[in-house]
Amino acid sequence: MIMTPRLRKLALTVHVTSSVGWVGAVVGFLALAVAGLTSQDAQLVRAAYLAMELTGWFVLLPLAVASLLTGLVQSLGTKWGLFRHYWVLAKLLINVFATIVLLLYTQTLGFFADVAAETTSSSAVPSELRSPSAVLHSGLALFLLLVATVLAVYKPRGVTPYWQRKQREQRALSQP
Amino acid sequence: MNNLSRKLCFVVDPTPFPDTGTGADRGAPAGTPRWVKVFGIVALVVVVLFIVVLLVGGGEHGPGRHSPSSDPGGHTPTAGVSHGDQQP
Repeated sequence: MIMTPRLRKLALTVHVTSSVGWVGAVVGFLALAVAGLTSQDAQLVRAAYLAMELTGWFVLLPLAVASLLTGLVQSLGTKWGLFRHYWVLAKLLINVFATIVLLLYTQTLGFFADVAAETTSSSAVPSELRSPSAVLHSGLALFLLLVATVLAVYKPRGVTPYWQRKQREQRALSQP
Repeated sequence: MNNLSRKLCFVVDPTPFPDTGTGADRGAPAGTPRWVKVFGIVALVVVVLFIVVLLVGGGEHGPGRHSPSSDPGGHTPTAGVSHGDQQP
């Protein structure tokens, strides 16, 4: 079903907002992850990991799902389609991959938050919280989302074999 | 629609006519574009690296995967197991 221009603009606005919001949230998460990895202040490190878990569940995951769903609406509701253009397909794969990894990573964030919430007499930072895991994951996520953003803006040319075949069939049908 | 009209439409909004030769598809070659091949190769390398890391780590990709070292006296995180689950 092709959306009307007004509806298409609305859907596009929601998609851009959620996708760019996701990028911004990952940048914020990365700042927390770097602070958690490098700070010498144990209280700050613990607070950073607790904030990362909350951010993961209540900011990153909702934005990721919103970006995926609005992207599906945007592609299926316009002539771009979901499997017609390589750049749309590439964005879909990036989005699905990043969302799945994020979903799996919430377990790890839960583990770190549990360690950070533990009350101990020691003022030292627990060794588990010195893991570069959060920095690695958020850095990779930021890279992938920036690639997706570049694809969305530049829309590099190229249609899939599926769409080439469909177009040939349509041309053959339209000829007398 | 003449060429000038098409160009003006594309400047205002590049999305309405993706399949009519306007915008990203102008003069697109029939074969697979180079950027798609590069993208595919990079994605394949990443997936292979990910599988190798999983195999080397014994299939584990949990909280302990990126930990700097083992900690015999402390926590021993495992994949998919929360810290609270390890307490007696």
